[in-house]
Amino acid sequence: MSKRAVIFGLDGATFTVLDHLIQHGALPTFQRVFGGGTRGILESSIPPLTPPAWTSLVTGRTPANHGIFNFLQYESKDSSFVRMVTSRAIRTETLWSMVNRHGVRACALNFVVHNPAPKIDGCCIPGWVPWRWVKTQSHPKGIIDTLRRTIPGFDVKEMAMNFSEEEKAISGTFHEDYEQWIDLHIRREKQWFSAWKHCLEHEPAGLYAIVFDGVDKLQHLCWPFLDPAYAPRQRDEKYERVRERCWDYFRLVDDFLRQTLEIVGPETHVFIASDHGFTGTHEILYINNWLEKQGYLTWAEGTPIEEDESHELGAVRPIQRRGFNFVHTRAYASFASCNGVFIPIRGERGREGVAPEDYRRVRDQLADDLLHKCAHPETREPLVTRVWTREQAFPGAEGNANAPDLTLELRDKGNVSVLRASTWYKPRQQIMGCHHPDGIFGAIGPGIRAGTQAERLRLIDIAPTVLYALGLPIPSDLEGRVATGVFSQEYRDANPVRSGEPTQPVNARDAGTGGEGDSGGEEDPQVLMRLKALGYIE
Amino acid sequence: MAVIDRDAIKADLIRILTELREDWEFSGEVTEKTGIFGDLEFESIDAVALGSAIEDHYNQQLPFAEFLTKAGERQAKDIYVGDLVNFLHENVGKR
Ligand SMILES: [Zn+2]
Repeated sequence: MSKRAVIFGLDGATFTVLDHLIQHGALPTFQRVFGGGTRGILESSIPPLTPPAWTSLVTGRTPANHGIFNFLQYESKDSSFVRMVTSRAIRTETLWSMVNRHGVRACALNFVVHNPAPKIDGCCIPGWVPWRWVKTQSHPKGIIDTLRRTIPGFDVKEMAMNFSEEEKAISGTFHEDYEQWIDLHIRREKQWFSAWKHCLEHEPAGLYAIVFDGVDKLQHLCWPFLDPAYAPRQRDEKYERVRERCWDYFRLVDDFLRQTLEIVGPETHVFIASDHGFTGTHEILYINNWLEKQGYLTWAEGTPIEEDESHELGAVRPIQRRGFNFVHTRAYASFASCNGVFIPIRGERGREGVAPEDYRRVRDQLADDLLHKCAHPETREPLVTRVWTREQAFPGAEGNANAPDLTLELRDKGNVSVLRASTWYKPRQQIMGCHHPDGIFGAIGPGIRAGTQAERLRLIDIAPTVLYALGLPIPSDLEGRVATGVFSQEYRDANPVRSGEPTQPVNARDAGTGGEGDSGGEEDPQVLMRLKALGYIE
Repeated sequence: MAVIDRDAIKADLIRILTELREDWEFSGEVTEKTGIFGDLEFESIDAVALGSAIEDHYNQQLPFAEFLTKAGERQAKDIYVGDLVNFLHENVGKR
């Protein structure tokens, strides 16, 4: 029988939550996989952000090579235009294409940056797509109609990411609506699972992969209900009710895993992976206000102070470049989700900015100031724990020009806010969930050592490990390596790792080149206002 | 890539928009006067998806951000199919 492998993806899953639920007997299938197979930490990308992270997992390459840094990014080094990343922006070969080259079909469901779906041999229903477009942006043509015909109750509108609901969720009204929020995600996951089950049973393939992203959504809003460290001493009825509903969500995912294992059988390698982990954030650093205080930034006249509740959630709405007065600005942050600070260079994204010869000096000084002067107003404890330069965070290719000049890690792992506020620092009124670099890995199947703790793996190790499990050669230019330690010596002796041809170049199409003649442009206030809603989707 | 005839582009765009139709409420005919926000009830995320669908169709990155900027600068109330056709006619096939 030919080999099969499954990637069971959980966006944002962390052992902090899973182990707590396992201890309470709520996740019997995860317990069985981790006990009967292997488990370990899966290190995320820098920064631990969904689009670059999943793209690293499915390409085996780091962001400087695959080209995905964020949901929204500048069109190019010279462009001040921002676009939402799509599948065209991935510059390197995906796992699906790598296995296709060896005659192995692949099914990939709900992966980010996969729209429009690549024309792989197999099927692909992309994630993070508004419902109207799911059908025409899936592959092959007709797959959604097939699902509608064969699955009772299949509903694309319920399955797709609901961008307006998400907007409501960050509008500050959710506080009383936890259960509605959780139920929304329970319904969504059931739809995805029905599509997944259909593929497992009716679409012949060697590689099946899915992402359940409700884990991330729930944890962002419901973290105090999930991390036992934040459980109140006095647990009232409301707390119990919300926590129970959160657990229902995880029980459901556990059952999806149980059914998946049942369908694919013990001869299939099943890999559980997250794109990043999770933790709690308790404070907000208004990075642009701090830059202003330090003399790096001047707001443009009329940039409003935004005191809406959404920034309580570490809102990742992009602020427009026109919010800054570039005549007097040497550093600014426009995309909160990536915790990145940009240094405008004269002539690159407009006429104003730091002179090219001063760039290094300004950047070094700013990095130093961030580490030493950005401190809690009372305790003086540093708020910024790490600063990576562009070359440190995204080493390797020329392709990192689109990335921020500096990338920050905050002491609580939270996201900076890029909004203009009336203060540069404040404690959150409520603990929120945020991304942590340590995600999860689990594996079970032929030759997987039972009950072992795997060494720390990186996202880029997953692609080669999956290829190995499928008995395929590993392209020589993958940056990760096979997690040989999770396989028994006997299995490794019988199945030596084979190195193969490098990955195939992706149709050189766009690869970060901007539109023509756009270097003087600025984002549009109106349309980008409408696009604001996109920023929060992390 | 050769520059494509305006009528052909219009037909492509209307086909892309019409393919969506069975999935949603709008049942009128899509013409050059159809507004994507007003008539098709697009949300901003749908406009982004439209951009990616068109780029996929022509296998070419197009300066949509610039197009949206210009629409904003003239304080356009909506983006009409005819505007999009003009934009594509100017840019498709041009490198
Ligand atoms: Zn994620």
